[in-house]
Amino acid sequence: MLVQLTDIQLGKLFPAYLLLDTNFQLAGFGPSIRKLLPGLQIGHAFDEYFDVISNDVATVFDIPERPNHPIEIASKCGNMRLHGLAAQQPDGYFLALRHVTTSQYLASQQLELTDFGYADPEIQAIMLIAVQRAMLEEAQDTALELAFERQRYSALLERTSRVSGYLAHDFNNLLSIISLNTERLARAPSTDGKITNLAQIIGDTAARGSEISQSLMALSHQSSETLSALSIDDIINENSAFLKTVVGSKVGLSITLHSGSCKAVVSYNGLLNCVINLLINAREAMPDGGHISLATTVRDGLATKIDDGAKLSPCKYIAIEIADTGSGMNEALLSRAFEPLFSSKPNGTGLGLASVREYAIDMGGDVWLESTPGEGTRVFLHFPIATDAMIRPDDPSVQDQSFDADQNERSILLVEDEPYALEALVEMLEMEGYFVTPCLSAAQALEALETRSYRVLLTDIVMPQQDGAELASKACIAQPGIRVILMSGYVPETAALQSGWMFIRKPLASSELLGLVDKLM
Amino acid sequence: MYGMIHRGIRNMVQDKLGEDAWFALEKKIGIGPTELLTGMVYDDTLTLEIVSEAAARLNLTVDECLFEFGRYWIDYASRGSLSSAMELTGHDLASFISNLDRLHLSVGMAMPGSRLPNFNLALSEPGFLKVEYHSQRTGLENFVSGLLYGLIERFGLIGDVSIADSTAGKVVFEIRYKDGHA
Repeated sequence: MLVQLTDIQLGKLFPAYLLLDTNFQLAGFGPSIRKLLPGLQIGHAFDEYFDVISNDVATVFDIPERPNHPIEIASKCGNMRLHGLAAQQPDGYFLALRHVTTSQYLASQQLELTDFGYADPEIQAIMLIAVQRAMLEEAQDTALELAFERQRYSALLERTSRVSGYLAHDFNNLLSIISLNTERLARAPSTDGKITNLAQIIGDTAARGSEISQSLMALSHQSSETLSALSIDDIINENSAFLKTVVGSKVGLSITLHSGSCKAVVSYNGLLNCVINLLINAREAMPDGGHISLATTVRDGLATKIDDGAKLSPCKYIAIEIADTGSGMNEALLSRAFEPLFSSKPNGTGLGLASVREYAIDMGGDVWLESTPGEGTRVFLHFPIATDAMIRPDDPSVQDQSFDADQNERSILLVEDEPYALEALVEMLEMEGYFVTPCLSAAQALEALETRSYRVLLTDIVMPQQDGAELASKACIAQPGIRVILMSGYVPETAALQSGWMFIRKPLASSELLGLVDKLM
Repeated sequence: MYGMIHRGIRNMVQDKLGEDAWFALEKKIGIGPTELLTGMVYDDTLTLEIVSEAAARLNLTVDECLFEFGRYWIDYASRGSLSSAMELTGHDLASFISNLDRLHLSVGMAMPGSRLPNFNLALSEPGFLKVEYHSQRTGLENFVSGLLYGLIERFGLIGDVSIADSTAGKVVFEIRYKDGHA
């Protein structure tokens, strides 16, 4: 088949073509050649302007010997390097040439798309690479921008959280004073019904104020939960019907509880959330159904696997074990399972396991996984058992013989830097029959600890000079049997709380506080 | 339109009015870095919303803003990551315009889903070009005018761009120019 093309059409297909006659004189050339060698004219000898540089075709005179052979040529002035095919024709030779496409050559010769044939795949690929490189550069910029935005957002969140925390602290302190003193007012013997009514109104309003402070605390990521010694079996038992709903109808759930009346210092909802999170994970590992077993036992040994260089002492702990018959995880997934924001599930938030771990560690325990692909996953969640010292210590060595036994049994060292709150708390506790030593600062409390022994240290956390957590640490060293209840409207990150200490959130509700104190006596 | 265009608009607003002006714009229409992802194709209504908001801040009409953005885009692309692709596309006004479809072919391959226009250099005479623009989109004539004007500036020329004819899906632009150094 013979295809006839005009010079223009030929130039569009092969902008760097050369047409030679049988004497190797130029009979035609493409527009790119014309642009780069403006002095070149029809009739000029090929070898005046070009050198053949390919191995197989040493000179243009070899072309007749090796028709239809690849050829590479360079202009003698050095501005062009072309390669292509030499095709023999009845009246000469057609050199279907194109510029080489090394980036150095492209840049040095200021070539443009018109110097390449419209259907030239190589130049199209080069353009595509240039565009993709541009996209990649912009994607890198975007990644940096997103990282910066995230940083900015985190910093803003942290500032907001801190301010909210401080506001919540001050607000809760004031509410505590109002609530406690309103209760005093209500308790005071009076025949005036109006006073009782007004005390009720103030109390109710303080309770509403407390709801506002809960929002502030949520903004500062503060838990408002009370920490106390609780039976994990009781918590699971009380919620067993709900837990069965959580796992759904396709999954069987068996619950075997053997930790009995042993207690761990936890928050009720915090512990329940952990169990729910783990059950949801187990359920999602079995989209086609399966079985989950939830068991508790009491064990001896190390409650935690955390190796932070600290000396770990063996202790009794409650072990919660949740095992599923799901797809299991490989080593790679297992190693990242607790990573915040990491999830192997398409719609997973990556927060469930991370929050379980954070909670377990905060409570002095730990959580870890064992998994076999195809067989299932087992989660081990451990919490140290609340020691007798945390609940009902009976260490005679720490008792001061100068006080009678009853006074020792019911002695409370109370530390609160707000005088009005202190006054109200002293009155409330003394009315319940406790022997209270009130202190307005940690320094006063440390002095008191030198003079006698106490059953309970009840202290505010945020105080000038020395905070309540620091005081509690010193008190535990001075009197190892002392039980600690911390109270605060805000727990700063700097406060080093120890597992096993009780915690009650301000504004204080007298019934909750008295209940907590009573458990420790 | 694709995110690269949004990034271009952002840079124009930042260059002309400062970074705070862009933050205010982002806040007003509720966008952020996720609306500036280079290879992402966004709905045209979002792009036009950004242009409208930019126009209000630059004290321009939307058409004027589209023209200014087209003009800015050529300079922005020449200075930025697309510079090597722009360089290869052409070294003079006529070559560049006649090779635009080839540039867009690569852009289309790199960004699937982008609906790119076609440009046909219908007539090329000294000092005069007639360009046919075909697009599935409407309402972007002023942006294209700005792009062509930006090209005049890119090649050191002076001139103007006018719309000679406009029918559904096709607009004919006339470019009159002369050497800026003459």
